[in-house]
Amino acid sequence: MSKKITTTLTQLAFGAGTALGVGVTATQSIAEEANWSGYVENATYHRDGVGISKFRNTAQAEFVKPIDSVGRWHNVTLNGTLRATYDGVYDINENEFGKNATEPYLGSNWHPEGSATGGPFLTAGVPFPCENDPSLCRNLDDYMDHKERDARFPEFNDELDFIRELYLDATTDLSNGDQLSVRVGKQQVVWGKTDLFRVLDVINPVDYSRHNIYDELEDIRIPQWMLNVEWRMGPTKTFDDSNLSMVWNFDKFRPNNLGTCGQSYRILDAGCFFSSYMRLDTLPGAAFPGGANPYGTAVPIIHDVKRPDWELGNTQLGLKWEGVYGDSTFSLNGLVYRQQLPSLHFRPLAPGIPAPAADGVFDIHFPWVRMIGGSVDYYSQTMDAVWRLETTYSNGEELPRDTNGHKRTDMLRYVIGFDKNQLIPALNPNRAFLISAQVFGQHILEHESDMPDFEDNWIATLLFKGWWQNDRISPQIILAHDIRAGATAVAPSVEWIPDDHWKITLGANIKFGGDETFPWSVNGNQPDTYEPLARFTNGPIGVANQEDEVQLTVRYSF
Amino acid sequence: MFKKLVIAMAVVASTQGSYAATLQDVENSFYPYKNGMPTAPGISVGMTIDQNNWQVAKDVLDPAMLEQVKQGNYTIKVGETDSFDLHPNYIAATQDRLGKVKLGNETGQIEGADAGRPFPEEPSMSDPRAGEKLAWNFKYGYNWGDSAAIYPFYWKFRDMESGKLERTLKFNFHFLNFTHRVNQEPKPAIEPNPSELFRGTYVQVLEPFDVKDTQLLIHRFEDDAKRDNAYLYLGFQRRVRRLSTGQVTDAFLGSDIMIEDFEGYNGRISDMKWTYKGTRNMLLPFYKHNEMPLATDMPAESDGYQFVDYTGKGACFPHVTWQLRKVYEVEAEPVDPNHPISKRIHYMDAQTFTIPRTSVYDRKGDLWKIWTIGQAHPDYHLPKNKGSGVSIDDAFTMIDVQANHCTTGQFKGQVDPELSPPSKFSVQNMRSSGR
Repeated sequence: MSKKITTTLTQLAFGAGTALGVGVTATQSIAEEANWSGYVENATYHRDGVGISKFRNTAQAEFVKPIDSVGRWHNVTLNGTLRATYDGVYDINENEFGKNATEPYLGSNWHPEGSATGGPFLTAGVPFPCENDPSLCRNLDDYMDHKERDARFPEFNDELDFIRELYLDATTDLSNGDQLSVRVGKQQVVWGKTDLFRVLDVINPVDYSRHNIYDELEDIRIPQWMLNVEWRMGPTKTFDDSNLSMVWNFDKFRPNNLGTCGQSYRILDAGCFFSSYMRLDTLPGAAFPGGANPYGTAVPIIHDVKRPDWELGNTQLGLKWEGVYGDSTFSLNGLVYRQQLPSLHFRPLAPGIPAPAADGVFDIHFPWVRMIGGSVDYYSQTMDAVWRLETTYSNGEELPRDTNGHKRTDMLRYVIGFDKNQLIPALNPNRAFLISAQVFGQHILEHESDMPDFEDNWIATLLFKGWWQNDRISPQIILAHDIRAGATAVAPSVEWIPDDHWKITLGANIKFGGDETFPWSVNGNQPDTYEPLARFTNGPIGVANQEDEVQLTVRYSF
Repeated sequence: MFKKLVIAMAVVASTQGSYAATLQDVENSFYPYKNGMPTAPGISVGMTIDQNNWQVAKDVLDPAMLEQVKQGNYTIKVGETDSFDLHPNYIAATQDRLGKVKLGNETGQIEGADAGRPFPEEPSMSDPRAGEKLAWNFKYGYNWGDSAAIYPFYWKFRDMESGKLERTLKFNFHFLNFTHRVNQEPKPAIEPNPSELFRGTYVQVLEPFDVKDTQLLIHRFEDDAKRDNAYLYLGFQRRVRRLSTGQVTDAFLGSDIMIEDFEGYNGRISDMKWTYKGTRNMLLPFYKHNEMPLATDMPAESDGYQFVDYTGKGACFPHVTWQLRKVYEVEAEPVDPNHPISKRIHYMDAQTFTIPRTSVYDRKGDLWKIWTIGQAHPDYHLPKNKGSGVSIDDAFTMIDVQANHCTTGQFKGQVDPELSPPSKFSVQNMRSSGR
């Protein structure tokens, strides 16, 4: 049960209220109390053949502090979420994870040693390069330059991530009866209707280093300092609800956290690829024009990270109109933002020469993307089920190419979802089961044959969940299948809630498939080539194909 | 011959729902105790009924509750019968529409019922649609008035056998009539209302942490043939989801209560086959809240309000007095053969048309749950409720007699339009009230 305690948040509230441009009297704020809640949690995961892969201990506290009305503004509240994490895996299993956890070859955690990693081309990734390789650390500065300590205590960094959210809400009534609502501060803004995948829900970047794609998005979105303004028109003559909102992300751009080499979760194994080298210095001179090897040392994969500085022109803007029309709820969305996944720009040795520069093969860029999209859900009386559709069309995204670095292309993404509650009396005569299915599709409009991705691909998911003992015991199974990669994840779990405070979740995460190769031209299109491009074809499920785990999470909430 | 013709015409008129109620019918409907309080043999004010004398209540307690008393699970104290006068505007609206309301050809069809009690006349056993008319009287009743809130609302999950308290959920519930408004501005309807909504129910979960920020919004349409639109906001998803109706017959958040059980019955008239089973005087949990022994183990309210206490086996029964009331017994059988229940038997209070007692039967026809909603007189409750003319839902218990488990509810009902503005009943409000 939440505890109501009087706090010193008064000063914070005062400051935030002042930011709204209105006065806050001391008596107004002092009289209020903040409502606190939160939890402490241990998540211990054991990976097959590896041992403990996560020993994450989290303390999270959330508060809401009402401030009554402030001038013309009412429903004024200050909201915050604080989180502190210690992941002990780097102390418990330091042979597998951490700054000393070297690997025999690049990608050894997800594929056999192919010709590109066994030969002269790619070295194993350097774990936590800022503790092992100063030059790599410099090259990856401001992106994958985490130290082991940063992985052990991920919230305590320069971005003050222990303040997960801190925002002020306020609403004012307009003369025509509409309302204007403002939320300003560090926050998550969630668009769309899709579970597990992000189609419209791309305003906040995501921290995949916490647990790949498998944690709740709420826990892995990286909150940003934003202004979210809503013009709530309410019901009109046509719509039962109509709302226009604008999101201005004025925070410094942050990309998705893909996990640094040496961490236990690094989606697509990108962190290790980015901290590896090409051993071009070992090639014979005859392999080069002129008969001389121009490389005196191994060439780092990444030369520099071009992360945009904070300036007004680099802030991001979104618009959304949503409403309710009859049996449908809908939204139309538009967003101008930075690509949150890195785009690798090839750096030639010299103009016209297809060999990489001696001081680094790629620069990492985060190009501008313009996205439009929409979502709709519809309740079908005849099927007694809900259909969900969400789609986006984007312009400006950049995808890698084998022979030509990268290419800018338009992208079409869509999700069709189906939710139904079905009573199965033989299993539980009193409580319906939730059956939720989704198909996520992606179409690359300007696809090239040397792109390590499919022109069309689909990932299908299925959730089957039941409840017994007054919802205190809830087993579920989640299936996800990447159709073109042939990769499957199966995640059964059982949640037990003994009382209002404790929650114990026992689960597993098993993967199959995900061992596609890719004919890398640099390696002469050898058939056993995985690196570096098969990480894209195998996707996040396939690249984690060796990460079968048993997972136990114990939470005490207050 | 003429007499037979009149009777035949009356029957035809009755089956078509066009019986012309009179002002006297209205008077009798809203003031059933004007000429005296109900009595029953062996029942007197101040007496207690328990497992030693349960036989005395055989005719005044429904069989399911009588069985609980017989088993020693609950002792009922008899209180004095009070007249729960509904708001005069609701009564006036009923008078204004006399003779204008009639049923359509199909169950769930009605004409002319835009405010007030649609069918104030006494039900007749010879009227095959009498049960349906009573159901309409409930649906368009003055149950929470034009708007109200239960603010806060505690639900407790209990093992009835051991008495162990398993879960405590804290909610805010809000109700708003978009139409049929007789007391609060705007009247008679809130505009614009493009989908012709009749009523909204908005639920916000405050505690415990694992379900905190869950919100439920139900939009009920004027057109009874149209299924409710229901929306769910889950805090951890930060997203509004549409609900299929399959979820309205599920245990809500793990309680023993379906969304369809809310307020006695929370569904479409056309979802059930309604059968009127008779009228009699029965004991129902009607009382004066401020005169009950109230709970001392609940979180304090700043205004000093105290919630109803619980007693009996497993603390599954409200510690309130019961009084003799005029009651209509109505059976509701789901039209859908896949519905998780086979029938409900409702015991409707004739004066208020609330449903303080219901017995729920499983698909096999066995008694599954017994549902009690205590009714508090508004003049002996919060000061703001005085004179509201609303029979205040004040305490509930849903007992699963097969699982020996119960969910109890402790209300702070507030008839206060400021707590339930129309803006609270929108999908957008769910997003903005979430995180």
